[in-house]
Amino acid sequence: MRKEDTVKLISAEGFEFVVDKEAAMVSQTIHNMLTSPGSFAERQHGEVTFPEISTTILEKICQYFYWHLQFASSIDLNSENLAVVSGKETEFPIEPELTLELMMAANYLHT
Amino acid sequence: MSSQKKRTFQIEAFKHRVVVDPKYAEKTWKVLEHAIHEIYNHNASGLSFEELYRNAYNMVLHKFGEKLYSGLVTTMTSHLKEISQSIESAQGEIFLEELNRKWIDHNKALQMIRDILMYMDRTFIPSSHKTPVHELGLNLWRDVVIHSSKTQARLRDTLLELVLRERNGEVINRGLMRNIIKMLMDLGLSVYQEDFEKHFLSVSANFYCLESQKFIETCDCGDYLKKAERRLNEEIERVSHYLDPRSEIKITNVVEKEMIDSHMHTLVHMENSGLVNMLVDDKYEDLGRMYSLFRRVPTGLTVVKDVMTAFVRDTGKQLVMDPERLRDPVDFVQRLLDLKDKYDKIINMSFTNDKTFQNALNSSFEHFINLNARSPEFISLFVDDKLRRGLKGVGEEDVEIVLDKVMMLFRYLQEKDVFEKYYKQHLAKRLLSGKTISDDAERSLIVKLKTECGYQFTSKLEGMFTDMKTSYDTMQGFYASQSDVGDSPSLVVHVLTTGSWPTQPSPQCNLPSELLGVCEKFRAYYLGTHNGRRLSWQTNMGTADLKATFGKGQKHELNVSTYQMCVLMLFNNADRLTCKEIEQATGIPLLDLKRCLQSLACVKGKNVLRKEPMSKDIAEDDTFFFNDKFTSKFFKVKIGTVVAQRESEPENLETRQRVEEDRKPQIEAAIVRIMKSRRTLDHNNIVAEVTKQLQSRFLPNPVVIKKRIESLIEREFLERDRVDRKLYRYLA
Repeated sequence: MRKEDTVKLISAEGFEFVVDKEAAMVSQTIHNMLTSPGSFAERQHGEVTFPEISTTILEKICQYFYWHLQFASSIDLNSENLAVVSGKETEFPIEPELTLELMMAANYLHT
Repeated sequence: MSSQKKRTFQIEAFKHRVVVDPKYAEKTWKVLEHAIHEIYNHNASGLSFEELYRNAYNMVLHKFGEKLYSGLVTTMTSHLKEISQSIESAQGEIFLEELNRKWIDHNKALQMIRDILMYMDRTFIPSSHKTPVHELGLNLWRDVVIHSSKTQARLRDTLLELVLRERNGEVINRGLMRNIIKMLMDLGLSVYQEDFEKHFLSVSANFYCLESQKFIETCDCGDYLKKAERRLNEEIERVSHYLDPRSEIKITNVVEKEMIDSHMHTLVHMENSGLVNMLVDDKYEDLGRMYSLFRRVPTGLTVVKDVMTAFVRDTGKQLVMDPERLRDPVDFVQRLLDLKDKYDKIINMSFTNDKTFQNALNSSFEHFINLNARSPEFISLFVDDKLRRGLKGVGEEDVEIVLDKVMMLFRYLQEKDVFEKYYKQHLAKRLLSGKTISDDAERSLIVKLKTECGYQFTSKLEGMFTDMKTSYDTMQGFYASQSDVGDSPSLVVHVLTTGSWPTQPSPQCNLPSELLGVCEKFRAYYLGTHNGRRLSWQTNMGTADLKATFGKGQKHELNVSTYQMCVLMLFNNADRLTCKEIEQATGIPLLDLKRCLQSLACVKGKNVLRKEPMSKDIAEDDTFFFNDKFTSKFFKVKIGTVVAQRESEPENLETRQRVEEDRKPQIEAAIVRIMKSRRTLDHNNIVAEVTKQLQSRFLPNPVVIKKRIESLIEREFLERDRVDRKLYRYLA
């Protein structure tokens, strides 16, 4: 995996998550960060710090990115798979105690 | 999204308590303002997107959206003012380049700012009904930079100046032009239209008005059209290179109006090079150009069409009324055909076979062909000429082409019955003298006439062909039955059905005694096989082959007409005869006799008779001798009658009269047909209906129709209504 294709996401506690750019760009905010003209620091270094997002939440977010990448597009493309997607095995699991914080982060990241 | 938003409410309440710093908003804004400055100064690389985004996010979240928005407006405005000044100070050439560069910069900065403030775009702006960031940036650019007092006029003038320079042949930076025009279009269609297009169009109108004035004074029509076409293409190309595609129709309209519409009449009527000259000289290219250009303006083609029609009518009229032409009917028709070919070609090559032009051409031909009452006769003569000799050596397809063309002229004729009359005469002559060169061509023409005018028109013509065939069979039967023909001259009889043939009651001429015997035999044979028929000899239509021995003993075979034969036979028993004596002996009508004597005595190389005094014309007391000194290199000598190729004036009148006579029953039949179905009808309607019914054959004269109606009333086919005298009633 080449460095240009990945981005490092850093949580409030300093944990680093290296994910594919493609996955990270599920978030509209991160998408803008990495594509906006001019060179912001994030684009130059390929890492983004989120001082307001905890490690637990960021981890869940990264999981969501990949889940979204895998299933969301297939929903759009092929409606036959819809039944399978909405089935148990493809459901994205969210622990009740994380819900509130995850919602806030989702709003922030525009996903 | 909406479900998330609802929860945001809870979050907001929660966060609100957290923020305690009253200076928070102020501080955050400062950070963002600084960032905007840096972005405009190309210094964004050190900034953290996340931080800025988070700040903007928090400001909106904490109800400082209004502050953020107004702050953005102020900051951006101040930056644009600076930019505007730097653009204004740019001198001359680099003005546009500077403007373009700053525009690109601004666009880039605007995009970055929008990205940073995206959260505001997403939540605050729709709910407070404000302009989104990107649009706001464009509007500010428009108001501050483009509409600044100094720039607005200067930008417009610069652009127009560049267009002018390009029109004058200079090369300009089209890429730059395109970018600037694109900028105007990005700022909204109204900006493009108000700030540029409107002025562009009016300046162009002026430019082309002057230029066309100049051209029209110095160039001839062809050159002018070339120039106009080039200008038009230039403008279209210009639009495709750097203007809004929607401008194309507007600017071409301007060019069309100035270059073509306002000079249309001058161009068409231009002396020595206008439309008429182009038509005369077959300038297909120029004509094509004129067509494609004039088609663009509303009345353009009508003007061209009208001028062409008038000219064709004029030429045609001159042609058909020219007394010189009337002498040679074949040439006359050939010229008509040539004229038609010429214009067909022009319409085909230059006017893209435009239907309206074809119709105009047809109506012109119809108009002028019927100006000359003898056109039907001449067309028939032309066909006669072609079928007698003209078609030798040409292929069957060419024959068809010539015949098709003749049919086309025939279609223009209004008096088709006159044509029929002449055609019958000419066909009869061809058939009886055996001069038809191709039976196929004859039949094909009749088929064409049939499809054109119906069975009725050609039934008699077909009858003539049948007669020829049965006559041949009859003659074979006759000779088979005559066991002993002996020395008597051989006789070939064509039995013609009265009515099918244009026979005229002609006085019986006295046949030489040598012939009478065989003629009687034939009469007996024919009446023996066919009961209840009457035979009468048409001596004015026959031919004869004579064997003659001249002074030095040389023998010739003379091919002559029946009349001529009668005259020559007289000289077997006499040396000298006067015209009067001949007339008495033969009983040939004087007019025909003179003609036949003329051909026997006055044609050089064929003068088997000698005449005293030697003159061209025959007088009643001229004396004729057998010409012993006659010589010829041919064994067979064909002595043609001095056939009046075209009819003489009195004959023509006679034919006319006969045509008029023939029309009477046709008109009457039409009236009866109409009245039978309508029972009652007023005068005007009858005339209209009769005209319509007979149109395919001739144009009946209303006066004649009225006379026919009166005659029918006399014969009690019709009666006048007792109350309304204009109304007629059919009496069954």
